[in-house]
Amino acid sequence: MNASHSIYDVIIVGAGLGGGIAAGVLAEAGQRVLVLERGSDLRYRDIPGDHLRHHRLSLYGDNTTHDPAGHPRVFVDPQGGSRTVFPHEAEYHNNALTVGGGSRVWGMQAWRFHPDDFRMATRYGRPAGSSLADWPITYTDLAPYYERAEHEVGVAGDHTTTHYAPRERAFPLPPVPSTPTGAWLARGAAKLGWNAFTPPLAVNTAPYQGRAPCVQCRQCIGFACPTDARNGSHNTLLPRALATGRCTLITRAHVARVLTDTSGRAIGVEYFAPTAPDSAQTERRTAFATTIILAGGAIETARLLLLSNSPQHPHGLGNHSDHVGRHLQGHYYPVVSGLLPAGFENPNLGPGVSIATTQFNHGNPGVIGGAMLANDFVKLPIIFWRSHLPPDIPRWGLANKKAMRELYLRGIDLRGPVQEIPSPDSRVTLDPHVRDRFDLPVARLSGTTHPETVRTAEFIRARAEDWLRAAGAERVWSSAMDLRLSASQHQAGTARLAADPREGVTDSFGRVHGHDNLWITDGSLHVTNGGFNPALTIMALAFRAAAKIAAAH
Amino acid sequence: MPLSPTQLNALRALLDRLIPADEYPGALAAGTDKFILQLLTHSCAAEATTLAQGLMRLDAEANSCHGQRFAALPATAQDALIRALVQNRTTTPWPATVSAAAFVNRLIDLAAEGFYADPANGGNRDAASWRMIGYDPLLPVRPSAP
Repeated sequence: MNASHSIYDVIIVGAGLGGGIAAGVLAEAGQRVLVLERGSDLRYRDIPGDHLRHHRLSLYGDNTTHDPAGHPRVFVDPQGGSRTVFPHEAEYHNNALTVGGGSRVWGMQAWRFHPDDFRMATRYGRPAGSSLADWPITYTDLAPYYERAEHEVGVAGDHTTTHYAPRERAFPLPPVPSTPTGAWLARGAAKLGWNAFTPPLAVNTAPYQGRAPCVQCRQCIGFACPTDARNGSHNTLLPRALATGRCTLITRAHVARVLTDTSGRAIGVEYFAPTAPDSAQTERRTAFATTIILAGGAIETARLLLLSNSPQHPHGLGNHSDHVGRHLQGHYYPVVSGLLPAGFENPNLGPGVSIATTQFNHGNPGVIGGAMLANDFVKLPIIFWRSHLPPDIPRWGLANKKAMRELYLRGIDLRGPVQEIPSPDSRVTLDPHVRDRFDLPVARLSGTTHPETVRTAEFIRARAEDWLRAAGAERVWSSAMDLRLSASQHQAGTARLAADPREGVTDSFGRVHGHDNLWITDGSLHVTNGGFNPALTIMALAFRAAAKIAAAH
Repeated sequence: MPLSPTQLNALRALLDRLIPADEYPGALAAGTDKFILQLLTHSCAAEATTLAQGLMRLDAEANSCHGQRFAALPATAQDALIRALVQNRTTTPWPATVSAAAFVNRLIDLAAEGFYADPANGGNRDAASWRMIGYDPLLPVRPSAP
């Protein structure tokens, strides 16, 4: 194939959840699709099981990035100091850079948003200084696509317990098995009168779509799955796209700009890619298509819109109302730790997340929104040592070593993704000085979330403490939350949906206002990010946008 | 080699107190010193000079208090000195680039990272720490993932 001047029906930038799903839907609808992914197409053996370099603890690197030095970002702290940061650093706000994106290594929590998550401004009012807004669509608009995502990607759950989000069909897979810690927490929730149930996880709890079930290993989140039971775009919609023969996937391809004609129509992309699949040499190429879809995540999609400026669009594409890159958000995660009672038999089986409550997603006195709360994944020993020993345990010596062996299997912690109150000042811009491997300005991250987020997070932290105490934890402790920028793996908001072009970047389907063939299918679209892990919503929006594009062709 | 033989002696003596042997192997038996040397050669090469300086200051502190290098002190004196340094209580001048507390805290972290990480990182030989605390990743012998 001569890729230097190729013409496709659709070009998709990014092979994560949103891009992979769009590729599958559109290729199966007969479109010729080009997928450009900056990362590599990694096999299981290519993703090391390194406990210091993975996607939950990346002290010295991670296990998916192929060129960490070539693609820094700039992080601006709340005091205004800026520094260049690399993918393994927290301030980079990384997501896995590989085919499958975050879904290659994710924790698989596959939640529908609460109906009120789509109408936050109406329910709570807009706090001064925030950019809190309603979505231009409702839960009902998205429900059929949530269902499609659950079935086509594969979600395990119990439809009789997820009452907060009305549904028509059961989950395609039975819920993950209950655990002794889950049962212990369920008794605590019952004592408090709270709902508690098995959370939906995108994991094969039985053979599904030709792949094996989870074997409950203890090296789960942040790593590749040894039995390919973790569901993502890399093993569902993307292979379906490739199986049609109409989809071309080019890896290690970095898109430099979206090309537009004088009328504003997107006509193609310029990108850098290896001269041959395994070559270190890269070349600049151009590809053309009638539809362009951006799905590089909320930070890189915003950066690409800003990089694609032109005389007609001096501030970047879709940036007519100065919303591109703003409202950057993720989730605040209060974490509350405790100790199971002495003698508790904890088999410590994966994935580990086995119980959740939606008691505090909305209707909390004096705060805006809330969060789902759940127990956590099987804890790696080094993560337990770093973050989950009781605070009065000495950090070294025999006392520390003894605490590790006596307390490791008694550790328990609860956490929840607190819905952020977005701030327009939490944003992605182009850095004026630092450039990447291809001499393009890198993303500059600055600002913080709105202070209301911290208040809600503190409320949720107190409820998590209540839960552990009611369950009978021997000790309970946690740390106060501070005001900071939050994006990371749940990054969202930088090209938000808005019926009115003055209020956001895309229309209610994800089509960029003013560019009727330029679409977005990643977390950038989220007006708010729900009090839940956002992946299933990214998937549902991608199914919905792709169906709309397919219908128009 | 990022450290001199004297610095390496100080490092090993320090690790032996940060994660001592008891009925289970300690940092040295698990190879945590080699894990740290490997890091200082690769991922953390930029830190090698600072840590080497810190190890020299550790010996200087030991000399100042007890007239001997750190490695030659009895365990109780070593522990007392570590406790003092963690609180930045020093008797000799430390360079502006490395405080006593920052140096010891960094070594505390590095020791634990080596000792509790996966054996392939080199500091947790035979998964000694994992067996001690009851962790096994339970990965299938033959992964079926492509």
